[in-house]
Amino acid sequence: MKYEAITTSTLVEPPLDIDARKRLKQQLRQAERWNRSKAFLLVVPLLLFVGITFVMPIIEMLHRSVYDPLVADSLPRTVAALKQWDRQQLPEEAIYAVLAEELVSLQEQHELSKVAGRLNSEYSGMRSLLSKSARRLSRKDTITRLIDTGSVRTAMIDIDQRWSDIAPWAAIKNLSSRYTLSYYLAALDMRYDENGEISAQPEQRQIYKTLLLKTFAISALITALCLILGYPLAHLLATLPESRSNLLMIMVLLPFWTSLLVRTTSWIVLLQTEGVINDVLIHLGLISERLRMIHNMFGTVIAMTHILLPFMVLPLYSVMKNISPSYMRAARSLGAKPGYAFIHIYLPQTLPGIGAGAILTFILSIGFYITPALVGGRSGQMISNFIAYHMQTSLNWGLAAALGGILLAMVLLLYSVYNRLVGINNLKVG
Amino acid sequence: MSTLDNSYVRFQNVRKTYDGEILVVKDFNLDIAQGEFVTMLGPSGSGKTTCLMMLAGFESATQGEIYIDGTPVNNLAPHKRDIGMVFQNYALFPHLTIAENLSFPLKVRKLSKSDIEQKVKRALDMIELPQVAGRRPGQLSGGQQQRVALARALVFEPKLVLMDEPLGALDKQLREQMQYEIKHLHERLGITVLYVTHDQTEALTMSDRIAVFNQGVVQQLASPTELYEQPANSFVAQFIGENNKLSGKVEKIGNDRCVVSVEGCNVQALPVNVYQSGEATTLSIRPERIQINPENDFDNRFDARVLELIYHGDHMRTRVELMNHDQFIVKVPNGSRPLEIRKGDLVQVGWLSRDCRALDASSGQA
Amino acid sequence: MSLPSYATPLERVGFHSYRLYCFGVLFFLIMPVLIIIPLSFNAEPYFSFTEGMLNLDSSAFSLRWYADMVNNPQWVNALKNSIIIASASTLLATTLGTMAALGLSRRDMPLRNAVMALLISPMIVPVIIAAAGMYFFYTSLGLAQTYTGVILAHAVLGIPFVVITVTATLTGFDHSLTRASANLGAGPVYTFFKVTMPLIRPGVISGGLFAFGTSFDEVVVVLFVSGAEQRTVPRQMWSGIREQISPTILAVATLLIVMSVLLLITLELLRRRNARMRGLRE
Repeated sequence: MKYEAITTSTLVEPPLDIDARKRLKQQLRQAERWNRSKAFLLVVPLLLFVGITFVMPIIEMLHRSVYDPLVADSLPRTVAALKQWDRQQLPEEAIYAVLAEELVSLQEQHELSKVAGRLNSEYSGMRSLLSKSARRLSRKDTITRLIDTGSVRTAMIDIDQRWSDIAPWAAIKNLSSRYTLSYYLAALDMRYDENGEISAQPEQRQIYKTLLLKTFAISALITALCLILGYPLAHLLATLPESRSNLLMIMVLLPFWTSLLVRTTSWIVLLQTEGVINDVLIHLGLISERLRMIHNMFGTVIAMTHILLPFMVLPLYSVMKNISPSYMRAARSLGAKPGYAFIHIYLPQTLPGIGAGAILTFILSIGFYITPALVGGRSGQMISNFIAYHMQTSLNWGLAAALGGILLAMVLLLYSVYNRLVGINNLKVG
Repeated sequence: MSTLDNSYVRFQNVRKTYDGEILVVKDFNLDIAQGEFVTMLGPSGSGKTTCLMMLAGFESATQGEIYIDGTPVNNLAPHKRDIGMVFQNYALFPHLTIAENLSFPLKVRKLSKSDIEQKVKRALDMIELPQVAGRRPGQLSGGQQQRVALARALVFEPKLVLMDEPLGALDKQLREQMQYEIKHLHERLGITVLYVTHDQTEALTMSDRIAVFNQGVVQQLASPTELYEQPANSFVAQFIGENNKLSGKVEKIGNDRCVVSVEGCNVQALPVNVYQSGEATTLSIRPERIQINPENDFDNRFDARVLELIYHGDHMRTRVELMNHDQFIVKVPNGSRPLEIRKGDLVQVGWLSRDCRALDASSGQA
Repeated sequence: MSLPSYATPLERVGFHSYRLYCFGVLFFLIMPVLIIIPLSFNAEPYFSFTEGMLNLDSSAFSLRWYADMVNNPQWVNALKNSIIIASASTLLATTLGTMAALGLSRRDMPLRNAVMALLISPMIVPVIIAAAGMYFFYTSLGLAQTYTGVILAHAVLGIPFVVITVTATLTGFDHSLTRASANLGAGPVYTFFKVTMPLIRPGVISGGLFAFGTSFDEVVVVLFVSGAEQRTVPRQMWSGIREQISPTILAVATLLIVMSVLLLITLELLRRRNARMRGLRE
């Protein structure tokens, strides 16, 4: 036996002084930075793509929900003059004169109707007031004569009594800022009143709060229906032997894969007054008069439940599939009755699936547009339909954008809850 | 560096950290000569696989240099290193047939078609599996996959082959058989092998030299015999083979002999890493070096009581109580004249002082 | 799951009504999809079964609505547009999405969760919001009422599906395979095309099919971003339903259902193939 010195073994941890540690960390950071940038480089093209084609449009929309330069651009001098105005009494003669001049020049350039329309949404009657005044003031020489004699105010009150009120002035002042919350206030049934304070809209103009509540209620109802219909079905799919559950699974996946418009068409065909369901019910003698089941809230709820049901069944199924049957067997062997074992053992384990499915269904249903638009009639309209209405028909884009902003905020809130609860990585499709 | 000439692979002051705080490899140095079979042995998380991955190029050394054949390779991409490697889970490409798997490295190296065919055929003959060429990895048994992985690592004739626990997934019998096959291949082809395992038997049977790792530090680098017979510290003693530990204090110390007191008894021992009297120490004695009713020249003899006897076929594993220590193991060979002892017997046990090594006091990992 | 022999009568009733309920739900799911098919062969311009159809009288069935569809240049043109737009947007979404998924599945990817959340968001944000925003933004870029605009918009809507399916495939991916490839001498590009790509191809293809299906079924963005020239099949159906519903729509719908069935079968085959590949590895 020979005894050799052990040269390469280092038995004691080499002491690291602070400098060495710093150097080490720096070298590590360099190596890491390179690896990270390699990973990041692969993602950058897509991030740029999503940024330009998706995020920028949404930012643009949000910008429009607070940006309102129309009044400030059209009536710049009036807006500047009204800055000092205290809203307590009628503005002085000079301000009347400035407004009169600007109205006349807008009238000459045929630019009046846009700004009048915008002001009208703030104070109804403003459109007619402005066009009437502008028309009269543009008569030959009227304006110069009135300014020279310092009697613009009297003349305008002569044209329309409302000029003796502070309300139209308050409307102009309220909209004079380029950046405004007025669209968001309108979307929540509020407005700036004559004193520039936030107050509720008059009763007959309040529609959006009810709309928001209705959208929530319909979504909650659909989510609940999907859960009631989907839970037992998911359970059956998860507990049947593979060979049989595969066939049933196809019956869930086929509707999931079928075009949304096709499914909506089906419901129109089924539910309409001359449709299949009415025919069957009459044939069976269950009803004597044909039921009106479409173009109302009923139609929206049925069709949307059908469309969203797979989004509830699939997450429930994937959670249930991973629950070993031995838990229920153990509970039974310990003396629990089936109902007790289900409530205390099975149900709690499926809560993540319920959470995932319910949030997903709810998120998708509060933003739903196509189905309510096609089968909703008047009563089945939701917030998305009003966004589309203001985008396409009323052309009140600011309000559409503000409604969109509110909807987006709600969805993103739910999305972050979903992310916290389920984890975005666990999102599955198909 | 002039010493580079006779070392084929060299790790020089290599350190590795993932988080900047904890070093998973601390100041690692290793020279491997051409044609050597070196094993890195250690518990999981001891840094041995990290060293292998750094050599293969899948991890970068935070500090230090690695040389292959005198060339520093720190900044060389893995695919340019020309190192064969057998992965823990084999990493056979599941979408390619066995023949395609084997020809993969040859195609990359742009060999001619006929060369490829010939080499693949030779490789399959070498592992005695010529019939599997057209099959997919999933259709082979674990042992067959292992051989194919080995063949793939060798088919492009690299000078250096790395093996990362290649036999971990096999059952015991197959593992032993493969150990011999790998050993024979190594001898026949004259390649340099760096092998990683946590299985000490595997390391002892196959290697020329073994580096024992613990917590990122090489505890001892030596031949299998030396590791077993002369462990440098209590971790190595404990990790390689079975070992009885007795904690005590050095009373007297000479050149090749020291006296250690354990629970009031004086034990004659060989000083390994104790240097002065009064020092705490751990005595390490192999169970097979202890005798019951010892021969006359045994310079350590103590009274003990038999607590338990377990029959192991070739030997009787006997647990005795000695110096207030009730986990003391003695292996009694089942020779032609077996000992007649029973549970509860009072006996005398003894050992030679040169088989009793006084090591550092830290107990290491049990 | 079946009923054990010791079940009480109450449990029996419960078990059978549970089964019945589930089959009711399945009926609710599948019936509206299937009912369209026979109705599309109606010889009369009605949306209900005629006496003749119920008696399986062959004269009550006809292909007239299919003929109507094929002979109507609007439908033919819409189909052409749909195929162009869906193919181009799928190609774009699949390429970019697969690259990103490869980056996202590396363990040193920074801000992984935030990036993932952003890339998935087109699936979560109500499409009306995206469509309204795109209307403003694409108009200012001059992309409104162009094929490019619709293709870009559809690609971004399809991206979440590609990212999700490809990252899911990559989670099961054995990274020692790429290491083995590098070790055997293959460079990164060779490794990608010969090792990584063949193994993740099922995931990439199913992501692509999802993206294709998304584009082929999309109407809201088309309503806002496209012009009359880029009318797609869903857009044509939309006006058909809104203005005057003709049974031609049922013929189109039937074709779309057949397409979904084909997609579903392809996906199932891919899933099995993927499972088999993974099974092979064990």
